[in-house]
Amino acid sequence: MRRNLFTTFAVILLTVSVAIAKKEPALPAAKEGKQKPLSLVRVNVTGQPYDYFRPWQKKAPLSKRALGAVLSKGRVLVTADLVANQNYVELERAESGEKSAANVQVIDYEANLALLEPAEKNFLDGITPLDIATDTVVGDRLAAWQLEPTGALVATEGLVTTIQMTHYPVDVNQFLTYRVSISMQYRENSYTIPLVKNNKLAGLLLRYDPRAQLVDAIPAPIITHFLKDAETAHYDGFPSAGFSFFPTRDPQLRTFAGQTGKPGGVYVTSVEPNMPAVKAGLQVGDIVMEIGNNGIDQNGNYVDPLYGKIEFTNLLTAHAFAGDNVPFQIQRNGKPMQLNVTLEHRAAKNYVVSPYNLDQPPLYYVLGGVIFQELSRQYLKEWGANWQKEAPQRFVYLDHFQSELFPEGHRKIVVLSQVLPANATIGYDDLAYLVVRRVNGREINSLADLAEAVKHPIDGFIKIETEEDPKQIELEAAQVAAEAPALQENYGIPSLERLE
Amino acid sequence: MKCCYLSILLLAFELTQLQAQQNSTPPVFPAQPQASAKPSAAAPAVVTVPVPPARPNGPVQKSLVRITSTEVEPDYRAPWNAGALQRGIGAGFVVEGNRIMTNAHVVSNSRYLTVERDGDPNKYPAKVQFVANDCDLALITVVAPNFYKNMVPLKFGGIPELESTVSAYGYPIGGERMSVTTGIVSRIDFQLYTHSSIDQHLAIQISAQINPGNSGGPVMRNAKVVGVAFQGYSGDVAQGVAYMVPTPVIRRFLKDIDDGHYDKYVDLGITYSKLQNPAQRKFLGLKDNDRGVLVTTVVAAGPCAKILREGDVLLTIDDHPIASDANVELEGERVEMPEVVERKFKGDTVKFEIWRDKQQMNVKIVLSTVWPYFVLGHSYDVRPRYVVYGGLLFQPLSLDLIEAYQPTDLRLRHYFDYFVLEQIYLQHPDVIVLTNILPDPINTYLAPYRGGIVDEINGKKIQTLDDLAKTFSEPADRFVVKMIGDGPPLVLDPKQAEAARERIKTRYNVVREQNLEEQAIAKAPENQKKI
Repeated sequence: MRRNLFTTFAVILLTVSVAIAKKEPALPAAKEGKQKPLSLVRVNVTGQPYDYFRPWQKKAPLSKRALGAVLSKGRVLVTADLVANQNYVELERAESGEKSAANVQVIDYEANLALLEPAEKNFLDGITPLDIATDTVVGDRLAAWQLEPTGALVATEGLVTTIQMTHYPVDVNQFLTYRVSISMQYRENSYTIPLVKNNKLAGLLLRYDPRAQLVDAIPAPIITHFLKDAETAHYDGFPSAGFSFFPTRDPQLRTFAGQTGKPGGVYVTSVEPNMPAVKAGLQVGDIVMEIGNNGIDQNGNYVDPLYGKIEFTNLLTAHAFAGDNVPFQIQRNGKPMQLNVTLEHRAAKNYVVSPYNLDQPPLYYVLGGVIFQELSRQYLKEWGANWQKEAPQRFVYLDHFQSELFPEGHRKIVVLSQVLPANATIGYDDLAYLVVRRVNGREINSLADLAEAVKHPIDGFIKIETEEDPKQIELEAAQVAAEAPALQENYGIPSLERLE
Repeated sequence: MKCCYLSILLLAFELTQLQAQQNSTPPVFPAQPQASAKPSAAAPAVVTVPVPPARPNGPVQKSLVRITSTEVEPDYRAPWNAGALQRGIGAGFVVEGNRIMTNAHVVSNSRYLTVERDGDPNKYPAKVQFVANDCDLALITVVAPNFYKNMVPLKFGGIPELESTVSAYGYPIGGERMSVTTGIVSRIDFQLYTHSSIDQHLAIQISAQINPGNSGGPVMRNAKVVGVAFQGYSGDVAQGVAYMVPTPVIRRFLKDIDDGHYDKYVDLGITYSKLQNPAQRKFLGLKDNDRGVLVTTVVAAGPCAKILREGDVLLTIDDHPIASDANVELEGERVEMPEVVERKFKGDTVKFEIWRDKQQMNVKIVLSTVWPYFVLGHSYDVRPRYVVYGGLLFQPLSLDLIEAYQPTDLRLRHYFDYFVLEQIYLQHPDVIVLTNILPDPINTYLAPYRGGIVDEINGKKIQTLDDLAKTFSEPADRFVVKMIGDGPPLVLDPKQAEAARERIKTRYNVVREQNLEEQAIAKAPENQKKI
């Protein structure tokens, strides 16, 4: 229900008013460029994602070339996309071709940002680090920096048309995004292109639509948030409050919610279990009027000093950190109340269906040829870019409605993903994509539950009950154990389980 | 029979093999004389001719008719409208008792039917007598008394052998003169009957060309009808694949209507799985004899409810042993177990020997139809049910609705896909969807609720469209409509809705604000009963 059509509308209006005001050249002065090496390095990454269809193995390695923005303290900023599931990262100086291995220092998959550090301490010497410009507004011109094979700069200028909240590739939160109208040329390093304003880093390429010639960029405020968090001893990640909302434009809905006084605020439609909002006492049906003294209108926007009207979720991501205590002014049945919400980062493992699993091997359990896994969006994404249509629809439904279907949280969905034909699985070979409910009579809420339940056979049989037909299958415990080595040998499975 | 697709594919293989073995024996189904048939005036004499004549099926023109149907297809997106007018041409043939047999899809939704015959300039108005949408057959009759005078009723044969030559008669692509195409019997198999799109019965694939306009026409061999041409593939999928309704299905239809009413195919209302895994058989305590299938779902609205249970093993059906791959031997053929039920009628019984908790038991099932399945299939000759209130259009979920709106909403698709399997119909006999909003100042903020499923109104569960209409007609300060799932309630002010009523009716030409009964448009013999 969280549609942001209204946000788009508000921001378009804003575009018109601000576009006239600003006109500063974003390109670096020519002589400056010649004097000093650019604040860019090439980044070469060899990644190897896990194969969720054969969870004991990795896919074939894949190499990517990209650019990194050199920041102070010898750090290089890239997108998390680039270095997720990496085996080897290497930095390359544009002007000399000199190379150094690099490590991933901090990575935030949700905000799609990562910091690299070269293995050789002095590798970045002589490169002027980029400062960060957080003041970009609609109407500003930004330059996309790319490199020619010679190491020379290719700068393409574009106009910031919209600043709004959008979904990032790992779809857990909406984050602030710059939309830039720009006709970029193709270069071999298409990942992680920095966007620059007055020689300062204004954003990092998030996605590019070549047909519409539109770039979505991770904006500087998200980058500085990430960097600030990265400087603390423990990287927390972006906070969230854990509730969903609906605009209160409908006067009938406002009356129903008992709203008195001036219209405004958002209607709370659900609260996530064990999350800050519910811990602070927020309830379904409350109207959130203000967050940290920022009034929210009936469309869900607050007035940002820089951008004007923008969705209030920006207050809880770009402007707040995990652990911050944020006052919420709410109305409950017309009565004003204040709730103090202590924000937290919600880790991927704290979802019923985790939204991403990167740089981590998938869990699995193979029993006599029957493969069990925990349902995750990473698994569903194996069906490709169009996974929401291609993947088993029942699983997509479980993922999409997870907080509604499992309001208690704190559990995983164990699925029977496929069956490898073997003596123990004769007659079961066509089974796939089933939700496991019980094993040997025990409820299954995680793969660890399953591994434990398997150890307690009923009269020598392991009974697996599924939500869907065939509802039950049985395996003979002794046969499964006896045939395990042959199964491993036959299908090349180094280990029959990974539970951690 | 609504069985899983996979089993049907397996069955296909076995049937074909069997047919091949029997090639040496005479026709599988001896052409049985119609028990009650009067001696017909002019039986085709071809049968007795010793040498194959040029036209082995006799003067089929004397039996074949061309049917023109003017149909009105209901408009699920504007259900108060009569719907789009269409005209279709099909074929039919005269059978015993002054009746014309054709396909259900030739005459369903028809408002006016005419019949023409060879060598006669007249168009004869006709009436539908019986429609069986589940097996795509219908019987119509011509009112004019002298119409049948020179017509020759055709007789039915059995299942033709594989590779035997058959001829299809009809009016492909609407031509005025009879067309004949020949081909051979390619495959005898269970197929989905696309007219209802949920029923699977025996169908025979032939290589004779069949095109629109052939529908309802006889397919003949040795002067006997061996099938009614009814569907085929067109375009990219496959070419030259045509299907006919075989005579066992036709005979069952004719027998069903003996009492003047078509009762439809009956169903067990269960799903089952094969029991081929040795460990599973041992666990269940079954003998090592390759017998039995496992009951996996018992549809609560079906005849097996409260008699069979999930986890029961079916050992025999009417004393025929059920193999662990769900086949039974019936009259010398291996067919899938539901075929036993296919041949039965409403109110008939079927006996099962079952295995429950390692004990053998006998149960008897009185067969009936299973209504929730009808929601998943197409309906014909009925007006769509709907309620318009405050410019909001509420409609019950059905296949016709899904096809009209093509929703991508995951919840809606889930409720449709699992309507029977997860027994959603027990909570929501009607899954009531807010399908559309006729924009008006009173509902201008309600667009985000589109596609939602109604759960409660003012705290009361809404199970049927009647519940919804009744609730909206009762006095209330406001209506708080809770949709299924996390989302805000939809709030309506009855005073405003009442004030906007005429305005919305006029602006959008809503001639009727609701239709609660799935009543027939014209007098049709079928009426679906909802619980």
